[in-house]
Amino acid sequence: MSRLREHLNLFLMLAPALAVVLVLFMGGLVMGVAQSLGYMPMIGKTDVTLNAYVHILTDENFLRSLALTCWIGFTSSILSTILAIVAALVLRQNLLGTRLTTFIFQLNIPVPHIVGAIGVIFLFSQSGLISRVTHLLGWTQAPADFPVVVWDDWGIGIILEYLWKTTAFTGVILLAVLRSIGEDYEDVARTLGASAWQRLRHVIIPLIMPGILRSSILVFAFTFGSFEVPFLLGKRFPRALPVLSYEYYHDVDLGFRQEAMAISVIIAVLITAIVLVYMKLSETYVRSD
Amino acid sequence: MKHRILVLLSLLVAVVLVLGACGPKATPTPVPAPTQPPTPAPAPTQPPTPVPAPTQAPTAPEKKPLGLPAPLDKMTWDDVVAAAKGQTVNWWMWGGSDVINAWVNGWLAEELKKRYDITMHQVPVAGPTEFINQVLGEKQAGVHSGGAVDIMWINGENFRTMKEAGLLYGPWAQLVPSGALYDWDDPAIAYDFGYPVEGYEIPWSGAQVVLEYDTAKVPDPPKDMAALIQWIKDHPGLFTYPAPPDFTGSVWVRMMCYYATGGYEQFLGDFNQELFDQKFPACWKLLNEIEPYLWRKGQTYPETQQAHIDLFANGEVYFRMTYGPGDAQTRIDKGQYPPTVRTYVLEDGTIANTNYIAIAYNAAHLPAALVTANFLASFDSQYNTIISLNRYSIMKESALTPEQRNLLASVKRGPAILPPEVLSAHKLPELQAKWLVAIEEGWRKNVLEK
Repeated sequence: MSRLREHLNLFLMLAPALAVVLVLFMGGLVMGVAQSLGYMPMIGKTDVTLNAYVHILTDENFLRSLALTCWIGFTSSILSTILAIVAALVLRQNLLGTRLTTFIFQLNIPVPHIVGAIGVIFLFSQSGLISRVTHLLGWTQAPADFPVVVWDDWGIGIILEYLWKTTAFTGVILLAVLRSIGEDYEDVARTLGASAWQRLRHVIIPLIMPGILRSSILVFAFTFGSFEVPFLLGKRFPRALPVLSYEYYHDVDLGFRQEAMAISVIIAVLITAIVLVYMKLSETYVRSD
Repeated sequence: MKHRILVLLSLLVAVVLVLGACGPKATPTPVPAPTQPPTPAPAPTQPPTPVPAPTQAPTAPEKKPLGLPAPLDKMTWDDVVAAAKGQTVNWWMWGGSDVINAWVNGWLAEELKKRYDITMHQVPVAGPTEFINQVLGEKQAGVHSGGAVDIMWINGENFRTMKEAGLLYGPWAQLVPSGALYDWDDPAIAYDFGYPVEGYEIPWSGAQVVLEYDTAKVPDPPKDMAALIQWIKDHPGLFTYPAPPDFTGSVWVRMMCYYATGGYEQFLGDFNQELFDQKFPACWKLLNEIEPYLWRKGQTYPETQQAHIDLFANGEVYFRMTYGPGDAQTRIDKGQYPPTVRTYVLEDGTIANTNYIAIAYNAAHLPAALVTANFLASFDSQYNTIISLNRYSIMKESALTPEQRNLLASVKRGPAILPPEVLSAHKLPELQAKWLVAIEEGWRKNVLEK
């Protein structure tokens, strides 16, 4: 009896969250898939075809966008994870001032990405603050002398923004993991004669690996699907996939919506696939422990 | 314990919601109007205003219904104004100009409140597709009244798209009092990018492309398109244009195409695919030819006009094209541009158009939409945009009173603004909407992605 009630309670408490997920997320997904197949009764299209996918996947521009998006996603998640590990290792030591440093380190977490992107433009564009300083110092003569960091070929501006934001995010997670582990394992390793590198490589990293994997999945999924940062800091061509999708969606020709939705569905499928692979990876990691 | 916190939290949320819901309703009650000093000081930033702006033209109280389309078909103008009282008007408009946004939320919002008790709510958008999608989506969903869009700043292919899809309220523009201020026989007013207006939108402003440059950096700017192209090649990295479909980038591409294809006259009619395929490769060739000499070697283009403004203001590029002949002066006055910036038009001429205010067919606040659109087109509002946004009069001279004409004649222009005669002597027409779309698409395929 009380068992049943517990279940009912559980269900009732989860219902609002489930409703949001199912109705808003799944509903949107279903409509997106339908539109990507060309089912758009409001503009008189009811034929279901795979034309948009064929068109997109054979389009060189799409493939270039896909490559760029993968590059941005992988580079920013790998680099930010490495930086976050280093930062967390430094910050967990209870030295003088680390509390303040930790606070400063976390300060940018509530700042929206769009603000960070504008900040990157202000700082790193060819007529940005840093360029002005180098001009004052006489290192550059004109804005064009300053290296191209924003709106560049390799998405450096985009990656910089993601690093700035996600390093703190991953760092905070890893810091929490490290603190919960404590230093006992390391002390044991030390008494057995392990060097600092050996302690890091064989004790700490394996212990925090689940945390690393999970947070880097989140970072990758976010950077792969995010729109505003590549929109503001990316080159006009090729575009990151979310920006490309937005562009198709806003084309004067409503027929392009099919392509826009197809791109969005592809983004969703890719992220899901990569998350599944990651989860498999982290599972094997835990098991081998 | 946890339960108590939950209850507390939900109570808090409820209180906030209730407060939020009451807020806007509560504010109008204190009647702000009488407390305000009666002296009309319309533009405190503009000291040389010789005479205080005149009050609304004496529209004799109309007893007859105006003949507006349903649901306002029985109403006189006074009825419309009365019905608009206390309403909020949602103006969906391009929000890419900080200067215009400040005007809308400043002077305009105050005047609407003071004169008509209407609250202005600006909905800034990046492009017209946003409100087209909004109204279209509502129509598809069967929301035929109470829509999110009341009035829109619109012209060209977007007006055509909306009118043809039945997304606009009308005809009304010639029925409201301010309609009489415009010359509906003038093709520049009655046709929007070659498409008949037929009372579905009212003129709001005139636009003509000018080039901004800094005399401290370019003392002697190239006179015509040919010379400008040579200048671009001689000064690598110092010229660019916003990427179409940004409307300024789009008009710049059209102007270069007019030059490269031997003139606009051949394209004035309906869209002709054959002619397009035959003539426009010359334009793509020219644009690709100058590309290596553009900012960042043409590998990228400014995404938006604001990005281009920043590049110009920061001295990364030496020219900026704009649809607003008064933009530069406004920015000099605000300290965003150095005082040495000037504007000019190419001797080949520059493209000009008129832009308008239209009303959504399912506007939630139809009376307020009409009153606001009418006010935007009225002399008082037009005069204020002329003195504070450095615009030009597009009103019919003969429809104005002698005092109004004197007021216009006494407007003092800053040095960065060209005289109206110079502008009108260099006007080039816009093409019809389908040409525009084809040119934007052609630019993307043949220039950007090359």
